[in-house]
Amino acid sequence: MIEAKQLVKTFVGRGHIVRAVDHVSTQVAKGEVVVIIGPSGSGKSTFLRCLNGLEEFDDGQVIIDGIDLTGSKTNLNAVRREVGMVFQHFNLFPHKTVLENVTLAQRVVRKRKLAEANDKAMSLLTKVGIAEKANEYPSRLSGGQQQRVAIARALAMDPKVMLFDEPTSALDPEMVGEVLDVMKQLAREGMTMAVVTHEMGFAREVADRVIFMDAGRILEDAPPTEFFTAPKDPRAQVFLKQVL
Amino acid sequence: MPGKRHPAQWPWYGLLALLLLGMVIALWAATQRVHYSWHWDRVPQYFLYQDEVLQSTPVAGTVAQIAADGHDSRVEIAPADGGRPTTITVETDTLKVKVGDAVAEEDDIGAVQQWRIGPLTMGLWVTIWISFLSGFIGLVIGLITGLCRISKNPTLRGLAVFYIELIRGTPLLVQIFIFYFFIGTVLDLDRIVAGVAALALFVGAYTAEIIRAGIQSIPKGQTEAARSLGMSAAETMIYIVLPQAFKRVLPPLAGQFISLIKDSSLVSVIAITDLTKSGREIITSSFATFEIWFTVALLYLLVTSVLSQLLFWLERRFARSD
Ligand SMILES: Nc1ncnc2c1ncn2[C@@H]1O[C@H](COP(=O)(O)OP(=O)(O)OP(=O)(O)O)[C@@H](O)[C@H]1O
Ligand SMILES: [Mg+2]
Repeated sequence: MIEAKQLVKTFVGRGHIVRAVDHVSTQVAKGEVVVIIGPSGSGKSTFLRCLNGLEEFDDGQVIIDGIDLTGSKTNLNAVRREVGMVFQHFNLFPHKTVLENVTLAQRVVRKRKLAEANDKAMSLLTKVGIAEKANEYPSRLSGGQQQRVAIARALAMDPKVMLFDEPTSALDPEMVGEVLDVMKQLAREGMTMAVVTHEMGFAREVADRVIFMDAGRILEDAPPTEFFTAPKDPRAQVFLKQVL
Repeated sequence: MPGKRHPAQWPWYGLLALLLLGMVIALWAATQRVHYSWHWDRVPQYFLYQDEVLQSTPVAGTVAQIAADGHDSRVEIAPADGGRPTTITVETDTLKVKVGDAVAEEDDIGAVQQWRIGPLTMGLWVTIWISFLSGFIGLVIGLITGLCRISKNPTLRGLAVFYIELIRGTPLLVQIFIFYFFIGTVLDLDRIVAGVAALALFVGAYTAEIIRAGIQSIPKGQTEAARSLGMSAAETMIYIVLPQAFKRVLPPLAGQFISLIKDSSLVSVIAITDLTKSGREIITSSFATFEIWFTVALLYLLVTSVLSQLLFWLERRFARSD
């Protein structure tokens, strides 16, 4: 479903070049849940953002459901509507109500009728447990509620893949559970997911594979039982000692 | 909080009233010194006045009958050629004919009083519509220029910067002269067109900077969220960025448009009869210099405060989602 080949992304910051993603190759199969972990600044976000073309990469290839992002005939917007993304800071549209947040792209991008978009939005908001807030503005919602709306907003486009970039990192601890529960349910329903997170419990329980990144490279790629009990890479071993 | 004592505020309001009163007295004393005699009674006629309009008969004939109708009289004229009688209504004290008089075609029968709009009202209207028209055009120019200013295309960006710097670096009065005497002559523009164009380009340059700042103040995450949903750059701008930016720039935009109303007085130099020009013209005939200028100032104040109230109300409506 997702395939990255020799992906390279560099940033030029204050004179020196940072290789945020350094020749990364991996793939995510249909229905698979891949969790990406690694220390801060290791390039996890940058890698994830390359997967839907939010970040223009310098070299390599990303293929989503058979479509090459860098292909000369590829319409990035058409690819992006198949790839949902959830951000650390939710990024809800503050001038739109919760319902409008979930219907806007359906109407504008998918060209759905208002009634159809509203039905879809309400069923998704019910699914993430927040239907009663449909007519509130995002600023009146807690962080956990906002993130669940953001998930519903991405799901409304019927994506084939969902990307999560630290969806619970900006949340108060008591709200982490409600967001993880929604994500677990999605995984059970067979959604293809790539998740950057520091929630090791989630990785253990839900992931099919865990990818460990450091300094822009993938250092380990293993099933969670293997990764958490016997990591092979020495830096992964150090990292796990620190977080567990 | 009950029990907590606030220092009383009324002495300060009292002081404020006293100071304002003092200013009025000082003003009055100053005019006393130059032996100015106030004639506020001369002012209202420049807003609205009654004009005597002569009424004449369309046919030749004789006055057959005059019927009183309140202050008016209905004069019935029987045409000499024996056709149907014509009735003309005039005010009784202006009546110039008696029953039995012979009248020729176009002879005056009397007059009626008609309300006319005075030059101050006309000038106020010109100022209002010139300001609103150039403000609206300026907003469109500002939006386009603001978008060009942050465009990735160097040509568009360069043009925008050039235009903004050119306008912001020169006085409006000079711009108006250039528009009227140079561009106006070359393109054969009407003075009103030249004036509105100069004002619109002037306000457009400032609006562009305000709009650019507003767009750039919207967090990048908003654009990223919209793009990740598959929206195009233009859709993201229209549905996500501009509505939020517009809400943020409303206060500075309001200030800009209030300035525009005041700056529009400069078009009086190219003989557009706006409020300021009307004031100047009236003074030459009324000799009520102080009164007219005070009235003109008050009218500007009236328009700008109504506008700022309107924009304040708009701002509160937009604040719903905060
Ligand atoms: N826009 C940018 N400009 C310059 N450098 C950047 C930019 N974005 C990221 N970087 C650099 O790229 C590297 C990888 O950053 P990235 O945000 O992908 O790390 P991360 O693994 O997501 O870290 P975290 O866990 O803190 O979110 C870092 O060294 C960072 O400083
Ligand atoms: Mg990150």
